[in-house]
Amino acid sequence: MAGSGARRRPAPGAALAGLLLGLLVILLPAALLARPAAAATTVRVLMPSPFVDATASLVAAFNHDHPDLKVEVARGPLDTEAMSDLAIGGLLLGDSGYDLLLMDVSWTAKYVAAGWLLPLEGLLGDDALEPMVPGARVGNAFGGHLWRMPLTGDTGLLYWRTDLMASPPRSTAELEEVARRLQAEGKVRWGYVWQGRQYEGLSCVMLEMIHAFGGHWWQAGSGPAGGQTELASPGAIAAADWLVHLVRSGVSPEAVADFAENEALQLFAAGDAAFLRNWPYAWREIEKGGGPVVGKVGVSTVVSAPGITSGGTLGTWGLSLLAGSAHPQAAAEVIRWFTGPQTQKALVLDQGYAPTWAALYEDSELQQKHPLLAVQRQALEQGPLVRPLTPLYAQLSDLLQRQVNGLLTAEGSATDAMGRAQSQSAVLLESAVGPGPGSGPQARAQAQQRQGSA
Amino acid sequence: MSPSLLNALLMLPALVLLAIVFAWPLLDAAWLSTQASSVLTGLNPIANGGANWQRLLGDARFWQDVAVTLRFAAVSVGLELLLGLAMALVLHRPGRGRGWLRALALLPWALPTTVLALGWRWIYNDPYGPLNAILRAFGAPPYGFLTTPATTWLFTVLADVWKTTPFVALLLLAGLQAIPLELEENLVLEGARPGQILRRLTLPLLRPWISLAVLFRLAQALGVFDLVQVLTRGGPAGSTESLALYAYLNAMRFLDFGYSATVVIATFLLLLLLTAMGWLLLVRRPLEASR
Repeated sequence: MAGSGARRRPAPGAALAGLLLGLLVILLPAALLARPAAAATTVRVLMPSPFVDATASLVAAFNHDHPDLKVEVARGPLDTEAMSDLAIGGLLLGDSGYDLLLMDVSWTAKYVAAGWLLPLEGLLGDDALEPMVPGARVGNAFGGHLWRMPLTGDTGLLYWRTDLMASPPRSTAELEEVARRLQAEGKVRWGYVWQGRQYEGLSCVMLEMIHAFGGHWWQAGSGPAGGQTELASPGAIAAADWLVHLVRSGVSPEAVADFAENEALQLFAAGDAAFLRNWPYAWREIEKGGGPVVGKVGVSTVVSAPGITSGGTLGTWGLSLLAGSAHPQAAAEVIRWFTGPQTQKALVLDQGYAPTWAALYEDSELQQKHPLLAVQRQALEQGPLVRPLTPLYAQLSDLLQRQVNGLLTAEGSATDAMGRAQSQSAVLLESAVGPGPGSGPQARAQAQQRQGSA
Repeated sequence: MSPSLLNALLMLPALVLLAIVFAWPLLDAAWLSTQASSVLTGLNPIANGGANWQRLLGDARFWQDVAVTLRFAAVSVGLELLLGLAMALVLHRPGRGRGWLRALALLPWALPTTVLALGWRWIYNDPYGPLNAILRAFGAPPYGFLTTPATTWLFTVLADVWKTTPFVALLLLAGLQAIPLELEENLVLEGARPGQILRRLTLPLLRPWISLAVLFRLAQALGVFDLVQVLTRGGPAGSTESLALYAYLNAMRFLDFGYSATVVIATFLLLLLLTAMGWLLLVRRPLEASR
């Protein structure tokens, strides 16, 4: 047809305009992108997914206020172990492409020994941790250097039902008694849910329970691994014994042996349990979930045997400087801002994270708006528990998990299981006799230090 | 240029590719298995002779994982073969909706393993999962599908069978379609019953495809990782830990690369041995017997 034929031959003017428009479309964004990239230093941060969402608006505000320093956040996975895999995968290649990594407290010694971190005291000052609550200062230094600045002050907590009891139990015996009574009265199906799966969460529970019965998992000292385990001690055996007793007597479901944080949370939030052991994040999850227990949940420190002050496992996240960073000074600046009091205050208000700055626990606005603050402070002041600070922690944790999970899922006595865990730990630590001076983790850390100051 | 030289030249790119993606990493791992390379050495490789191999021989956990992996492979491949054959025979029959049926049957195979493992984790959930809901409906107490060391491995096998049977069925279906229809018709005319046709005609002609399916699946099952990692993480009490999972733990969690490489090479040797045995039994011997 005539119309379509005319359309096939565009006027020369239109073609020229199209060309110009095309050039503009291509060049304009390029010009916009090129300007800031040339002027600003970009600090790249890898964080687990929930932290990326939690800090997105703060990071945007920071970038707006700092034209010469740009923070670029990369989204890691949700799960702690998947996050570790991703980070390690990048670090093994030599250059991960990131300046900063948000790290779980249990990774510190391993990452230092691998030579992946730069010490921070030279950049942030020897007193960088001074303004933080004492409980949040631990787990950041290793081998005489500061490797990590904590962003959150998370510890293990006990969640309880305010509609079923007037006050939370203070001892293991009391918890068991209340749980049994509520179960007998038909108020709840289960008494106490916690993390019994063969994974890191079980080690966190064990650390709390060993302490609760007067024992220690780890005794720091000399040796290439930095200390030794005491898993066959009466306290450690009593801890395993109590957990297995909870399962065999029906206070905890048998399924607890496959529970991670979320499975336990699910059961508690459904109103099927009187007590839950979990981290501070569980509070928001329960309140957001709109289930039958909303408004009926209290939070307290974890229980212990009579006469012993209980301690919650420290589960904090903190920022570390990666060895491949091209601009450590700028990265340190970002650490200072990220872990600083303003950012933390915003994170407490928006997300309910536990802060690490002592001053924030005195802040009346926060005290009013965040009901967990008082108990978090108490948990941090009571002396939170740090998992063994050794590069071999992952192995120690793994073999303890296997023994305790085996105890929860099969026959056997706590004495035998903990005896095996102790002897396996001892074999592992003996193997840590390094191939000579100059190659152990400490020496490596010193080499890093020299490299960092050069 | 002589034809043989040309042949060699044409094969060169493929050989180079194989060398890069297969031989080189393998040799590298074999070398690493003679080194101490862990957090204790600052990840620097330091020759330690046969120390890793000595440790492997005395490592009860490694031998337990060998047994777990072999059991998993044997039972899952066996079940997949039986069910896959049955499925292929059904899908081979002409009938209405066969195309739809074939597409549907392949669905589990198309799912990513991690997704299906999460699905099965929910199915096995105690107390809220559907399987325990069924048990409850019959008045039975809940069962710890993932917390019973004696039986949990069976439930990982079940999840694997659910996913991979369609793959075996697809391979066998291809084999069935290659059998000329006239042969079956002749046997029918001679008055053979369906069971006799299966035994005398279908199975012998299907043998190459069965061998192929077994060898493929065996190699995959012996390297099982993602299913176990998501479904059980090797638990309860390490009862479902596969060799691949142990190698992964050593490398990515413990940062003990020397020992991880030793586990990898040992697994590779085991795989080589079993595949060679399978090849001899399933491919070579029948060929010689038929001559």
